[in-house]
Amino acid sequence: MYIPITVDHIARVEGKGGIEIVTSDEGVKEVKLNIIEGPRFFEAITIGKKLDEALAIYPRVCSFCSAAHKLTALEAAEKAVGFTPRPEIQDLRDLLYIGDMIESHALHLYLLVLPDYLGYSNPLAMIDKYKKEIEYAMALKNIGSKTMDYLGSRAIHQENAILGGFGKLPTKRQFEELKRELKEVLPMAEYTVELFAKLEQYKEVKDEEMVHMAVKPRNDVYGIYGDYIKVSDGFEFPVEDYKEYVVEKVVEHSFAKHSLYKDKPFMVGAISRIVNNADLLYGKAKELYSQYRDLLRYDNCFANNFAQALELVYFVERAIDIIDDILAKWPIKERDEVELKDGFGVSITEAPRGLLVYALEVKNGKVNYADIITPTAMNLAIMERHVRLMAEKHWQDDPEKLKLLAEMTVRAYDPCISCSVHVVKL
Amino acid sequence: MSEKVKIGFYALTSCYGCQLQFAMMDEILQLLDKVNIECWFMVERDSDEDREVDIAFIEGSVSTEEEVELVKKIREKAKVVIAVGSCAIHGGVQSWGKDKGLSELWKRVYGESHVKFEPKMAEPVEKYIKVDYKLYGCPPEKKDFLYALGTFLVGSWPEDIDYPVCVECRIKGNPCILIEKGEPCLGPLTVAGCDARCPGFNVACIGCRGAVGYDVAWFDSLALEFKKKGLAKEEILERMKIFNAHNPKLEEMVNKIFEEGE
Repeated sequence: MYIPITVDHIARVEGKGGIEIVTSDEGVKEVKLNIIEGPRFFEAITIGKKLDEALAIYPRVCSFCSAAHKLTALEAAEKAVGFTPRPEIQDLRDLLYIGDMIESHALHLYLLVLPDYLGYSNPLAMIDKYKKEIEYAMALKNIGSKTMDYLGSRAIHQENAILGGFGKLPTKRQFEELKRELKEVLPMAEYTVELFAKLEQYKEVKDEEMVHMAVKPRNDVYGIYGDYIKVSDGFEFPVEDYKEYVVEKVVEHSFAKHSLYKDKPFMVGAISRIVNNADLLYGKAKELYSQYRDLLRYDNCFANNFAQALELVYFVERAIDIIDDILAKWPIKERDEVELKDGFGVSITEAPRGLLVYALEVKNGKVNYADIITPTAMNLAIMERHVRLMAEKHWQDDPEKLKLLAEMTVRAYDPCISCSVHVVKL
Repeated sequence: MSEKVKIGFYALTSCYGCQLQFAMMDEILQLLDKVNIECWFMVERDSDEDREVDIAFIEGSVSTEEEVELVKKIREKAKVVIAVGSCAIHGGVQSWGKDKGLSELWKRVYGESHVKFEPKMAEPVEKYIKVDYKLYGCPPEKKDFLYALGTFLVGSWPEDIDYPVCVECRIKGNPCILIEKGEPCLGPLTVAGCDARCPGFNVACIGCRGAVGYDVAWFDSLALEFKKKGLAKEEILERMKIFNAHNPKLEEMVNKIFEEGE
C-alpha cells in the first residue's frame, strides 16, 4: 500500500539522477540515488591516445568544473613525465582554477540552491523580487568566467592550459582589469555569506559518524593543490596511496560507482576543506569564519552551502593576491618544453565540489593507464545516507515536502552527476 | 499580448556544458518575457518532458536505450528540434573510443558488474530523429545561441555555417599553426564560428565544432598535409576522430591518401 516516493530526474543539479525512497509501516525501508546518466568511459577511451589529445578531452568529463579536470589531469601527466612547472606557472594555474571555483560556487549557491529556500521552482522566476541577488550571482559568475576566458581561453573546456604552461598569457592590462573587477565583487561575496548564514541548516541530517577528506594544502596555502590527503579522523596519506584508502565499488542502481574509506562513506567538498584546513584561512574569510563558525557544522551536509559562500570570499581575495604577485614578476614566460618520458603520476586536487583524482601512466607519449575519481563519485554513498536521514525524519510528512527535502539534501552536495559517470578501475 | 514561444532544453549523456553556456548568458534575462520554459531540468524544478514545445534544444549523445525513447518523444512534441553541441551532433568525445567497442569499454570500467540500465555506444541524435538545426561546438559559443534563438523569435530561420575555422583565423591575422609551427591543427576542416578561439591562443584546433558539412570536409587534403609532416595514418585518424568518430567520409578520405600516395 506504500507507494515509493520517487524523483525521476533531480532538477538543478548537473547530470541525470533520481531519488527513490521506499517506506513501510515501520518507516523507511530503502533509499537509492539512481544515477541514470549514460556512461562515457573517459578513462577507457583515452587509453592508447596521445597525451596532449587525451588532456584536451579530459575537461569534457564536466562543464561546471572543466578547469579542475584540465588542471588535475595536467598535473598528473606532468608528474608522470617528470616535469615540474615553474612557480609562476603554478600560480597562474591556481588563478585559472580559482576562476572555476568562483563561477561554480556562485552558480550553485544562487541558481541551484537559493530557489528552494525562497520558494521558487527556478532561479529566473526570482528576478522581480530578488533582483539584487540575481545581479550578484551574475557578477560573481562573470568574474569567474572572465578569469577562465583570459587564462584558459574560455569558461568551459579550456584549451589554453597545456603541458608546460599556457599557449598564451593574458596581457598586463587584462590582469589589471581582472584585479579591478575582483575587488568590485568582493562585497558581493561577503553579502553571499550573510545571505546563506540566514538559511535553515536542517538539523535532521546530523551525522555523528561524518568523516571529511580534503587535501593538505601545499605550502600551507588554503586551496587547491596538495601532496597529502587529510582525513578528519586525524589520518593523513600521500596522494599516490589513494587507492589504499579510497575504495570504489559498483552498485546496481547507478552508472557511477560508490567510494568508501575504511569501509565507510565519507564526505568531500567545501565543508570538508574548512573542517580540515580552517586554520589556513586569512583576511576577510578568516574574520567571517570566526564570526560564523557555529554554522560550519562538520556533521551536517547542509553546511556545505555556507562553506561555499565563505570560500567565495576567500577565493576572490586569493585571486587578487595572485595577480599582485604575477604583476610584480612581470613579464612571465608562458611555457617550458616538456619531454615526454615514460612514467606514472597521481594528482589529487580540490575541485569545487571536493577531491578530484587523476592517475595517469604515460608510455611512448601515449596514455597507458588512466584512473579518474570524481568528487561526486566519492560523495554518492554518504549522500545516499543523508537522504535516508532526511527521509527517516520526514517519511510521514506530505510526499511533496519529503521530495523537496530529499532534493535539497542532494543539492547541498552540489553533485556533478555527469562527472561521476565514467569511473574506472582497471 | 502575443503568445510566448515555448522552449525545452533536454539533456542526454553529456557534460552539461551546452546548457551551462546557455544558462550563463546574461542575455537570457532579456529573453524571459518572450519565452516559456516548459522543460529544463538544470534550472527548472517544474520541468516536464511530456509537454509540447515550439523549440527543443537537445544536448548530449544517445547513450542508453532510455535516451532513444526520449529523443523520439521530444521529436513528437516539438515543432523545431535543435541539436546542440558536439555530443548531440557528432556523438561527442565519448565516441572517440568507438573502435574499441561497447563491451570492451564496459569491461574496462565496470568489470563483470551489472547495472540495471541498458548502456549503448554514444551516437548522434540524428541517427534516431530528424534534426532541423545544429549549434556546433563543445560547447557552442554564446552568439550561436543568440543568433539561432533570435532568428526563431522573429519568425525567421538561421543560416548554417559552411566554412572552416581557417577563414576566421585569417581574418584575425593569427600566424598559421599548421604551416608556420608544423602542429596538427584541425582548423582547415572544422566548422567556423568560434572566431578561431584556440589558434588565437597559439593552441592547435582539436576540431571541437566538428567537420564542415555538405560533404566538403577536407579530411583528404589535410591528411595529405599531415602525412607530409610525418604523421602516420593512425595518428591522423585518431586526431580527426576526437570529434568526428561518426563521420562516414572520414576513413574513406584518409585511406585514399595513404593508398594512392601523393
